[in-house]
Amino acid sequence: MPFIQIALNGQPQQIPEGSSVADLLALSGADRQQVAVVVNEHIVRPDERQGYPLHHNDQVDVLVFAGGG
Amino acid sequence: MDSLQLGSYSFSSRLILGTGKFSSTRSMLEAVRSSGTQLVTVALRRFNRNQAEDDLFGPLSEIGGITLMPNTSGAATAKEAILAAHISRELSGSPFVKVEIHPNPHHLMPDPIETYEACKILAAEGFLVMPYIPADPVLAKRLEDVGCASVMPLGSAIGSGQGLSTAAMLSIIIRESGIPVIVDAGLRSPSEACAAMEMGCEAVLVNSAVAVARDPAAMAGAFARAVEAGRQASRAGIMPKSGTAVATSPLTSFLGTAP
Repeated sequence: MPFIQIALNGQPQQIPEGSSVADLLALSGADRQQVAVVVNEHIVRPDERQGYPLHHNDQVDVLVFAGGG
Repeated sequence: MDSLQLGSYSFSSRLILGTGKFSSTRSMLEAVRSSGTQLVTVALRRFNRNQAEDDLFGPLSEIGGITLMPNTSGAATAKEAILAAHISRELSGSPFVKVEIHPNPHHLMPDPIETYEACKILAAEGFLVMPYIPADPVLAKRLEDVGCASVMPLGSAIGSGQGLSTAAMLSIIIRESGIPVIVDAGLRSPSEACAAMEMGCEAVLVNSAVAVARDPAAMAGAFARAVEAGRQASRAGIMPKSGTAVATSPLTSFLGTAP
């Protein structure tokens, strides 16, 4: 299966070509909690993730709420 | 009923709590409950599957009556803060954003120019904008003019515990402001929170002083009572200072004195 390379939270990662944002979340264990997803500075909402394809060299950030003041 | 009004939101508690620096999520949640706070700050962080306990959305959602106020900490420019605000609103569903732009990690002083630019745009987009700012009366007024829901001048540097070192400027901001003034940062002890409220602040935001206490839940409760006491005192009318003694007991008609 051909792979593409993306950056997930700043780290290079190989994922199967044709993967969607939802696939990436499942692959990285981030599909069981409330997360925000940003692809190339574009926010991808939950209802868009299944049909949102990822491409070679995409910059993907997956974010949660952590402690802060 | 005396409540803190921010946009269309009304809060009976005037203590806003930060969630950083706690030794555990459990400790933070106990402090939130003990404080009676209704408005809590959180920060955005990249997901790490090995640190699932970092995710506070679920645990905080389980406490009823809490509104989230995500901050933009980590942003060094207006552009970054605006993106962080959009991401946070997507994640929280809350219209509140604490705009926090501090480019220098050594002193963490807010950048007034980038903060102003970010606030102007976010307020126009409908956010309830709560900017963390230097204690500058001119900046505070300009932020009111662009539609911020409050201004949050610093008492002293973040996490420093130096208390109300900006008291003189805070007094001017409070006197001039048409929106709630909330002291954010630097408070070390409940007496300082009480003093801020006595000065006329509408609320205080506390994090480190609670998080690093030996017993955070107890300290959170102490801050809550101090904030209430300060608010009551401010509304009751604090007596003016006098340069001389003013007797509280009659000084005439004492035993052995002539009538």
